[in-house]
Amino acid sequence: MVEDMRLIELKHVSKVFGGETHALNDVSLYIRKREFITLLGPSGCGKTTLLRIIGGFEYPTSGEVLFEGKDLLAIPAYKRRVNTVFQKYALFNHLNIYDNIAFGLKLRKMPADEIDRRVKRMLALVKMTGYEKRSVDAISGGQQQRIAIARALVNEPEVLLLDEPLGALDLKLRKEMQLELKSMQQELGITFIYVTHDQEEALTMSDTVAVMNAGRIQQIGDPKRIYDEPKNAFVADFIGESNILDGVMPRDEVVVFADTRFECVDKGFAPDERVDVVVRPEDIEITTPEMGMLRGTVHSVVFKGVHYEMMVDTGAFRFKVHSTAMHAVGSEVGLRVVPFNIHIMKKVTDE
Amino acid sequence: MKRSWFAGPYALWMILFTIAPLLFVVYYAFTNTQGAFSMASFLKAFDGQYLTILWRSLYLAFLCTVLCFIVGYPAAYFLASKDFSRSQTLLVLILLPMWMNFLLRTYAMMSILEDNGLLNQFLKNLGLNPISILGTQGAVLLGMVYNYVPFMILPIHTSLKKMDVRVIEAAQDLGASPVNVFRRVVFPLSIPGVISGVTMVFMPAVTTFAISRLLGSGMFLLYGDLIEKQFLELNNWNFGSSLSMIMMVLIIISIGLLNKADPKKEGSGVL
Repeated sequence: MVEDMRLIELKHVSKVFGGETHALNDVSLYIRKREFITLLGPSGCGKTTLLRIIGGFEYPTSGEVLFEGKDLLAIPAYKRRVNTVFQKYALFNHLNIYDNIAFGLKLRKMPADEIDRRVKRMLALVKMTGYEKRSVDAISGGQQQRIAIARALVNEPEVLLLDEPLGALDLKLRKEMQLELKSMQQELGITFIYVTHDQEEALTMSDTVAVMNAGRIQQIGDPKRIYDEPKNAFVADFIGESNILDGVMPRDEVVVFADTRFECVDKGFAPDERVDVVVRPEDIEITTPEMGMLRGTVHSVVFKGVHYEMMVDTGAFRFKVHSTAMHAVGSEVGLRVVPFNIHIMKKVTDE
Repeated sequence: MKRSWFAGPYALWMILFTIAPLLFVVYYAFTNTQGAFSMASFLKAFDGQYLTILWRSLYLAFLCTVLCFIVGYPAAYFLASKDFSRSQTLLVLILLPMWMNFLLRTYAMMSILEDNGLLNQFLKNLGLNPISILGTQGAVLLGMVYNYVPFMILPIHTSLKKMDVRVIEAAQDLGASPVNVFRRVVFPLSIPGVISGVTMVFMPAVTTFAISRLLGSGMFLLYGDLIEKQFLELNNWNFGSSLSMIMMVLIIISIGLLNKADPKKEGSGVL
């Protein structure tokens, strides 16, 4: 279980590459012991830079990084109690699988029988027993992935950093590995810092998700909270699918969007403040035109497996709606949303 | 059928300029001046004086290869490192002499090493005693290293350059200090380049001619000089061919040994 102790703490960390662009812009974050935290965001949002700073491969332009309260930046990468699973695995192809995994242990001058015991146990954990003598070029991508994880975990690090480790795998294998990684993390009690751009992966595995964009943390919290209560339009758009509309709040608990007045549960905005309105496609209910708060025609239908995705044109906005019942293209429908499912967000002003 | 038609010109080229001359060499090696079969010139090649020259050639080629490695590896390493990788200038400076004829370069070397040459004038200006190295084995070796070191630097540079940075980071991540990163990852991964460099230096080095004559003042005849002499001065094609065949066999054996050391064939692909 996640402990309350702060293992890693970042304070006002910024990183500037080549003078102009902020890869990281004043990021503050703490990571607790045994936490599975995911840095989630589109490519170029700074998530990998953040991971590389903790790993010791980049240094921030300004800010502090603490490990158990002590300055981490003063310690070179090879002395940190942190191990990394690299994006493209970065296995040593001049060594066989056994020697790849034993690499870190041999550097620590561990006795050979102890190394042997640990490597064998790791191979069993990643279900690769019997592959000791194989070349790393002679195994599949999924197997290379497992060896990369074993090579890092065998050192029993305090923290394991994972840089999009499942990115190169096919969907089915990826799902399997997600569950395996999660159970390994719980079994070993190691802190995982996981970088991905796949929101589903982030929500499936993590105790905590930090959504990043343009070098800043947009929102941090447990997966359910982030999904249910996105803090701004970017998070709403990035996590799951959303209808994002411009709206105005004439007063508390009332919002106007798509030329219609709705009841909602939010308050505390200035009168007539312009806001972002987010409605999840699965929160829109399709009824008869007469019963609907909004009226529209079905513009397109796509079968998605469990549900249908329909685009419904109301004239003012084209809503994305998920429903298990199909409504034919061109048919007139009504749309309903309960107040609780209308999410109001402050407009993001900077950038 | 069509594809083999395209290969035609190359096949013709090979026959005219590789296979036919080789057959001539074999023919001359095993015949006497009358054109009758004879092992005489072969047996002559195993005379003591010629074996001495062969040993000297192998010995100098070996020393030259080792020196080229000692000089070339650090050079390639620094050229491939982050600080230099952006600018190609240094690499071009290393390659530049290769664009000139090696005889020209060797004559230049001669005038530097001469008793009244640049080197000794420099030493005189520093108030030091002049040295006389022209005509020594050291001068021959120096000339060979100078001529062949780019062939060592280039393949090593290429193999270091194409190395994945992430692999080096992975080694650091697993606890390898800079020394260990080099010893356990960078150097092992650059071995194909080293093997390729060793091949590319050893082969021309063992067949060196002219350099030894010019810088060694004719005192340190090498196998290449000996072969050259048979064809151009003594007009003894039979003996020259025998010597050439012995050299070829030695080269083939050494390449075979080197290829064994590089089982994945990641190196040059020479042969």
